[in-house]
Amino acid sequence: MPTHPMPTQLALRNIRKSFSNKQGAVDVLGGLSFDIKERDFVSIIGPSGCGKTTVFNIVAGLLQPDSGEIIYRGQAVDGLRGKVGYMMQRDLLLPWRTVLQNVLIGPELAKMPPAQAREMAMEYLNTYGLAGFENAYPRMLSGGMRQRVALIRTLINDPDIILLDEPFSALDYQTRLYLEGVLMEAVETFHKTVVLVTHDIDEAVALSKRVVVLGGRPSQVKKIYDIEIEARTPIGARSDPNFSGYFHALCGELDIQTEVRAA
Amino acid sequence: MTQSVSVSKSTVPDARRSPRVLPNLDTGWGRTILQFFAVVAFFGIWEGAARMGWVSNFLVGSPAKIYDALVQSAVSGQLFVDTGYTLFEAILGFVFGTAVGSFCGLALWYSPFVARLIEPFIVAINSVPKIAFAPIVILWFGTGLVSKVALAISLTAIVALIAAYEAAKEADSDLQALLVTLGADKNDVFMKIVIPSTLPYIISTFRINVGFGLVGAVVGEFISSEKGLGHMIFTASSLYDLNTVWAGLFVLMAIGFVLYFLIDLVERSLLPWRQASNASTLRV
Repeated sequence: MPTHPMPTQLALRNIRKSFSNKQGAVDVLGGLSFDIKERDFVSIIGPSGCGKTTVFNIVAGLLQPDSGEIIYRGQAVDGLRGKVGYMMQRDLLLPWRTVLQNVLIGPELAKMPPAQAREMAMEYLNTYGLAGFENAYPRMLSGGMRQRVALIRTLINDPDIILLDEPFSALDYQTRLYLEGVLMEAVETFHKTVVLVTHDIDEAVALSKRVVVLGGRPSQVKKIYDIEIEARTPIGARSDPNFSGYFHALCGELDIQTEVRAA
Repeated sequence: MTQSVSVSKSTVPDARRSPRVLPNLDTGWGRTILQFFAVVAFFGIWEGAARMGWVSNFLVGSPAKIYDALVQSAVSGQLFVDTGYTLFEAILGFVFGTAVGSFCGLALWYSPFVARLIEPFIVAINSVPKIAFAPIVILWFGTGLVSKVALAISLTAIVALIAAYEAAKEADSDLQALLVTLGADKNDVFMKIVIPSTLPYIISTFRINVGFGLVGAVVGEFISSEKGLGHMIFTASSLYDLNTVWAGLFVLMAIGFVLYFLIDLVERSLLPWRQASNASTLRV
């Protein structure tokens, strides 16, 4: 796929954030800057405790940075509340709502006419193989099915940016590959921009167009990799000749030893 | 069905099961039969002991005479008047107390500042045995219906308030964050997350509060009243009519029992998602 350069959709400029506790303030983000382009698929990786989830929450508009700018399509904004879709490791389905009602929560908040919203929801449920489960409660479904419902809930709202915080890490490998495929296809179909926060290098390389590596304390952008893998399926990407090169380079960035060395 | 022979396609190892000699009584019918026999045995022994003179008829009464007292009271119609009156007081107290308490407890979710401010006062009020307010309540609200309802409210409201407030505080913050990213405001979060996730806890206070509603009504009647089961029990005991006292107590027990099951029905209809489980229970 020939890539002509896309305009920047979201720019983070010199974002700083610290949290205070009894021992004093802890600087988590020390001046973070990077761009996300239109229809980008960016993964943010870094060692645990590097503030990946803090970045995520700032972009989502759940946290205010101490300083720095968030520029969305050329305009400085406080956060992207209402513009983002949000998926976490926990499926975050409301247990007291049926599958259909869970999917409808976004349209409901957006005051969409119920009949129209319902029709759209049923279409999505059919597409993703959940027809017949619309009146089931989440606790009756498997983990993979629940995460599919969460994905539909994210897509139906037509968000500008989809934020994913290790959405598949609690699932078994098969289900996970399947859902990665579903996600990639959906992103292609609906032309979405995705920001994926993960500690899983394998997943980051297989899915992303670019990988942002965070490091240091407080953390900063250590390096940004452009991932040039043509395959558009999770399994295909993993068998791409470039895959293992990126994989090892990123392991190196995170100081993960990929061979057992004699001490 | 004492023995299951042959066609054993079960893969469950039998080694650790104790050999079955008795029929399985842990079924609906089995339990009912056992419970029925327990009740019959209890009253049988009581009646026997009273007739044989092992226990004092005067101090303990006897089931046959309790039955006589019940029938007599029922025939005169007084039993139904008293039962209806107490039931009415208890239900009014339960409904108002639980509603007001739950409402205030949920409302505290809106302002953590106010909640922290009044927390010690709630603890203080809760630590007084509410029944000790009874004399004041009677002075303020008179000897009629209102004072009993007020007493029942004072007992039930605080239980509901604390339960609702604690549960609202614990409402899942990830779910709230999700709603906020979807563009929800505070009222949306309250209506769509806080209330539904608090509901099971509020409903579980119903069970406790139905009992407290009856306590408020009966204690109020003990102190001052002209009718009601509390009145019936209190008057009978001052006349040393133990059988009528027992009759009143058994009617109270029956009321509590029925109310408890009604709440079960309410719970089932309000929380359908809690029943939706086909997971089997673990057997150890």
